[in-house]
Amino acid sequence: MSVTEQGLLERDKDTMTLNMGPQHPSTHGVFRVILEMDGEVVKTAEPEIGYLHTGIEKTSENKRYVHVIPMTDRLDYLNPPGNNLAFCLSTEKLLGIEIPDRANALRVIMCELARIASHLVWLGTHALDIGAMTVFLYCWREREMILDLNEEISGVRMMTSYIRVGGVAKDATRSWLDGILDFIQYFPAKVDEYERLLTKNPIWLDRTQGIGSFTREEAINWSLSGPALRASGVNWDIRKSQPYSGYENYNFEVPVQNNGDIFDRYRVRIEEMRQSRSIIQQVLENLPGGPYKDPDNKVSLPARETLHTSMEALIHHFKLVSEGISVPKGETYVPIEGARGEVGFYIVSDGTNVPSRVKLRAPSFMAIPGMCKMMEGCYIADVVGIIGSIDIVMGEVDR
Amino acid sequence: MTSEEIVKKIKENLADIVQNTDLPQGDAVIFVAPDSLQSVAEFLKNDADLKFDYLSDVRGVDYLLEEREPRFEAVYQLYSIDNQHSIRLRVGIEEDNPSVPTVSNLWKGALYPEQELFDMFGINVEGHPTMERLIMPKDWEGFPLRKDYPLTTETVAFSHNRDFKSELVKSKPPTR
Repeated sequence: MSVTEQGLLERDKDTMTLNMGPQHPSTHGVFRVILEMDGEVVKTAEPEIGYLHTGIEKTSENKRYVHVIPMTDRLDYLNPPGNNLAFCLSTEKLLGIEIPDRANALRVIMCELARIASHLVWLGTHALDIGAMTVFLYCWREREMILDLNEEISGVRMMTSYIRVGGVAKDATRSWLDGILDFIQYFPAKVDEYERLLTKNPIWLDRTQGIGSFTREEAINWSLSGPALRASGVNWDIRKSQPYSGYENYNFEVPVQNNGDIFDRYRVRIEEMRQSRSIIQQVLENLPGGPYKDPDNKVSLPARETLHTSMEALIHHFKLVSEGISVPKGETYVPIEGARGEVGFYIVSDGTNVPSRVKLRAPSFMAIPGMCKMMEGCYIADVVGIIGSIDIVMGEVDR
Repeated sequence: MTSEEIVKKIKENLADIVQNTDLPQGDAVIFVAPDSLQSVAEFLKNDADLKFDYLSDVRGVDYLLEEREPRFEAVYQLYSIDNQHSIRLRVGIEEDNPSVPTVSNLWKGALYPEQELFDMFGINVEGHPTMERLIMPKDWEGFPLRKDYPLTTETVAFSHNRDFKSELVKSKPPTR
């Protein structure tokens, strides 16, 4: 029995059914949850999704591999390089190609910048939901710098599509690398600033500690991933356990907390921002030279200037643009650690230049049933805190 | 455990249940019939060496265009947090009355992707508590991710084509 059929109040019951969303500022997109309230306590929470369904998986089955990449940006729109990378890694695994070191290093820089940007959006909106307005403005200030860096390298502020099959779209420029260097020198003081505003703030602690707790077993069983899982005491980061793109070469720690409440998820993400910054610093210190995309022009476009002098390059260019890459028959899945958890594309290829099936493993989608389970027994004011702490992005939930 | 060891262990213990095994690009993949999914899943979760305690994803695939039997497939991606290894279970599902037992009794995380399996492919998941539309509207007809469900465009109605109805659009084959 849905809320819309019966009106918001069903008076024949002791409990009250309360509709929240889809157009609610604290549901982070068009997420709707139907709460059954006993006074001020949530008895059951029933999620309702699908308001942002755009059929990207169906569309992907009718587009060439290269054309799918811009659509993956729109899935998790706060972490586009992560989605690009997940799609490219799966495709490259089917193709069986090796990626040059410089391309891997540039991919890592983009992904870690995106992780910081995504966590900044999370921190800003989450704190705003709970009532801390200032943090929101500070976070947006720093995120703006990352978006400017995105624009400089890819021409686009958010939907970068920078990571391509076989490498990256464009080589790094001197000024871009200098810009990143400036940012990572500026950033640590700012993280300390956010922490000064929140970590020991008694109002913040009252609103977050001990609320929305999940034990280790529950978190695993409900398929939470990423920071939400690590806050419950599970030391699992795909960058460490199944390294990709050269993450095994960098030293970083995986922050783990044990209580699994909103506060611990906050602590994990704050520490992750520091670690991401440290990874970027290590990449910049040892940035390899060499090609930034696969030199074999069967997969990536030949350099623009060679088109005037090399017949072979011209043929490759024509074939790649008019026909695209043909991927050998098979199916594969490569998980990566996105900003919200395990992201990966399951790709089934039938041997043509169009994928036969593309399925995104979206961490937000998998976390929603568990998130609604957490709400049970909480006060209604904590519901927005719980939604914020899981950090859902509806673009990848509804796809 | 490496993928080879996982496959070997499963072959030894479930020789009569597992239909086939494979190691594409180094991933462990096993093929299971829908009837034996429950027992295989239980073994994978509870065995001390394997201990697949984390369900990454469940996805459906429609192999209509490849003309092979069975037409549908449900693919389960499992991961073991303690042992750091993964496996893929491929369950072939017949075209007539497609159905597969639920694994949400073992992994609660399967609730949503299994419901999506029904929503997008019309595969009935037996034992699932809410077998209804998840992403598509409640009154939607057809199963969008099936290969015989055409990908069409919606013609924008202007004054010059106000009477243009979707007959033409419906008859259009999937675009490539």
